Amino acid sequence: MRAQRFNSLRQLAAVMAGFAVTILLIESEALTVWADRLEVSRTAMIAMQATSAIHRTLRPLGIEDVREEGVAGLDRLGWSDDPARLLAARDAYAAGAWPGRSCEATIATARTAITAPPRGASAPVVAGVPMRTTLPQLAQPMAGKPRTLALVGDSMMAVGLSDILLRQTAADQDVRVVKAFRSGTGLARPDVFDWMAEYPAMIGDAQPDAIIVAIGANDGQGFVDNGKVLAFGTDAWVKIYQQRTAAFLNMLTQNGAHVVWVALPPMKSGAYNEKIAEINRITYTVVSQYPQVIWWNPAPYLGGDKGAYREFATTPDGKTTRIRQADGIHMSDEGAALLAPALLNWLNPAPAVHVAQLALVPANPANHAKREGRSRVIRR
Amino acid sequence: MLFPTVQFALFFLAVLLVAWSLCRLNGVHKLFLLGASYLFYGFWDWGYVPLLAGISLVSGIAAQRIQASETQKMRKTWLIAGVAICLSTLAYFKYTSFFFTTVLDLWARVARPPRVLIPSPLLPLGVSFFVFHAISLMMDAYRRKLKERVRMLDALLYVAFFPQLIAGPILRASSFLPQLSRPRDPNAIRVNRALLLIVAGLFKKVVISNLLATRLVEQVFAAPQTFGRADTLLAIYGYAAQIYCDFSGYTDIAIGCAMLLGYRFPRNFNAPYTATNPQDFWRRWHISLSTWLRDYLYIPLGGSRGGAWRTCVNLMITMLLGGLWHGAAWTFVVWGALHGFYLVAHRMWNAIAWQPLQRMRETAAWRWSSRLLLFHAVCLGWVFFRAPSFAIAFAVLHRLAIPGAATLASVPVILALTLGLAGQYQPLRWRKALEHELGCWPAMARGAAFAGAIFMIELLGPSGVAPFIYFRF
Repeated sequence: MRAQRFNSLRQLAAVMAGFAVTILLIESEALTVWADRLEVSRTAMIAMQATSAIHRTLRPLGIEDVREEGVAGLDRLGWSDDPARLLAARDAYAAGAWPGRSCEATIATARTAITAPPRGASAPVVAGVPMRTTLPQLAQPMAGKPRTLALVGDSMMAVGLSDILLRQTAADQDVRVVKAFRSGTGLARPDVFDWMAEYPAMIGDAQPDAIIVAIGANDGQGFVDNGKVLAFGTDAWVKIYQQRTAAFLNMLTQNGAHVVWVALPPMKSGAYNEKIAEINRITYTVVSQYPQVIWWNPAPYLGGDKGAYREFATTPDGKTTRIRQADGIHMSDEGAALLAPALLNWLNPAPAVHVAQLALVPANPANHAKREGRSRVIRR
Repeated sequence: MLFPTVQFALFFLAVLLVAWSLCRLNGVHKLFLLGASYLFYGFWDWGYVPLLAGISLVSGIAAQRIQASETQKMRKTWLIAGVAICLSTLAYFKYTSFFFTTVLDLWARVARPPRVLIPSPLLPLGVSFFVFHAISLMMDAYRRKLKERVRMLDALLYVAFFPQLIAGPILRASSFLPQLSRPRDPNAIRVNRALLLIVAGLFKKVVISNLLATRLVEQVFAAPQTFGRADTLLAIYGYAAQIYCDFSGYTDIAIGCAMLLGYRFPRNFNAPYTATNPQDFWRRWHISLSTWLRDYLYIPLGGSRGGAWRTCVNLMITMLLGGLWHGAAWTFVVWGALHGFYLVAHRMWNAIAWQPLQRMRETAAWRWSSRLLLFHAVCLGWVFFRAPSFAIAFAVLHRLAIPGAATLASVPVILALTLGLAGQYQPLRWRKALEHELGCWPAMARGAAFAGAIFMIELLGPSGVAPFIYFRF
């Protein structure tokens, strides 16, 4: 009969030692990825150096191959939810070369596929952004040709806006919606989530002819470029962020798609709002270089009288409604519903788009419906 | 700092090391744990650490004054003052904007409402939980359930202790303070049980809950109009599994971490979907909350002492307030009302003492039918709990009537759903046998197995870490 070992502090110490050694052996690469993805700071730099040193030391043992095999096996089973990994798995499977091709190879291919120079990279940064922007209707597609709309972005798209747009286009046979959003992402940190690699995988075979982008809420942070830490808002940071935005737009528009870039709305926290305003200024500068892309400011709909943060609004029937989430960042469904009529009006898919749900009174009621063209809002 | 992150793992390993090295010096040990708890909370927002310390301090002072007061009147005065401060803090942060919007909506029904600036403070993480801890401390002092005098350090640590700080389980002062009064025993650490709980909790949260959320539930609740009956039904079942795995996963990790530090937390879930009636369900679901509501709300309201009608009213009040505790929205109130109704209906049904019916209730077929019926009644409640508005909740329910294929039923989804729901029927002896088996392994091998399990969970879980559902409560 085997003996039960008595629980004690020494036992706990030995268990933890066994755990630490094993986890370092099998997860040292994952730890380097974790450290790379930390918000840039001195602590993060120390973590990066430490995890890289551990990884370099342990890599020759080859134990991490288990991890790669495991990931590859799961991808083959369709377990992964990472579009780039799924695409890599699909490509490799189709080529009969499994498991010879790694995800990194696919990402690299996707990176090099964007060859056009970033047209907006050298554009000067303007002091401000226009408060009132218009969304002229797209030309109607030919009859029988459904519009393919891609919803692209971070949690500013994922929370609220995508839900409302999906609901309001659900009944429309003439609109095909492609979901290409991921919370917690942005353009500032391609080391965390590389949109240039992930976007092609997210849309797959679909060729969107209309794209709505809402992104940038996570970009108010520094990043490392060529081993140098660039603090948010510095000239070097702005220059690289402009280049990344331009490259992203080149990718979105390369097949002739029309794009609405939904600017970031005013935020509750003052310090955060300043960062957001800076990101808006940069994106406005870059987007202005693209005739196919419209930079659209949602502040007149979501903000107060002077575009300031506003959390509640009143419906035409006098009901008070929360238009922003309690976090002071994202839109609530009702807030997103304020933007939907103008966006769907721009989309102009077919004569009978069903736009229902909710219509609220904008803070600047300078008759948005009149400016944006015909209103399809059914008020209730 | 979320539990399933490298940050928390590093933080916890450091705390574990230092805490046990200080275990002989109980005062220093507790002071260290208090500092670690504030650090843990400060990772989210340092600005709210004073609020946490303030609530702990108020409840600690009130508990001490209650114990020191010689007259019943003074005891009651201190209790009311302490509870009022705690509840008004909770009300301010959680219910102010809800209150204002509700009043303005009612006003709009009769006249044009005035233009007012609605205050809407950011909700401090875990405020509902630490306020309930604070109230428990004062109530237990008032009910003379605390055998020793409350020490301020103990009171502060009880309210802020990091494993339970954000989402419970809600500890009772009467069961936790005695643990703080003596040094932790380094020979009584239930390492195997703790490791199994942490692994089970991580698996439930990272793999099952996150997978169901991202691949099934979020999609259907985002745009229910685009899905038919099969997908909608799957999503409703999926949410039942998701919320169970999310919340019970969190508490499993919390209980396991506390266990490694030498503390015992109460069990918070006991296979809730195996319940056969609503009363049984609430004995198995979020046990620490349901017993809190029973002891500090339902019983003070009169419990079942005032006749059948009064009992039903007390049940409804308790469940309505329980619903509102979960969130400042009418959908949560409806969820609470539904459960209140279930409890009342079950009580009335149980009161029927017709012999053939009594005999039928004892059959296995009846038990399984009850289980199935209750599960679907609970699922109906989850629709309102999950939906951001009544419009979405009704749209989801409406889609159950529209034929449609199960387009979201992939292998991972079905596996996760099955594990999340059927896993509750696993015999207890399996866990005990596994615990026994682990106990026979060398300690280093156990650690290696634990690391292997974490590795598998990391591989199987979807990328990114979704916050725990109960964090927003």
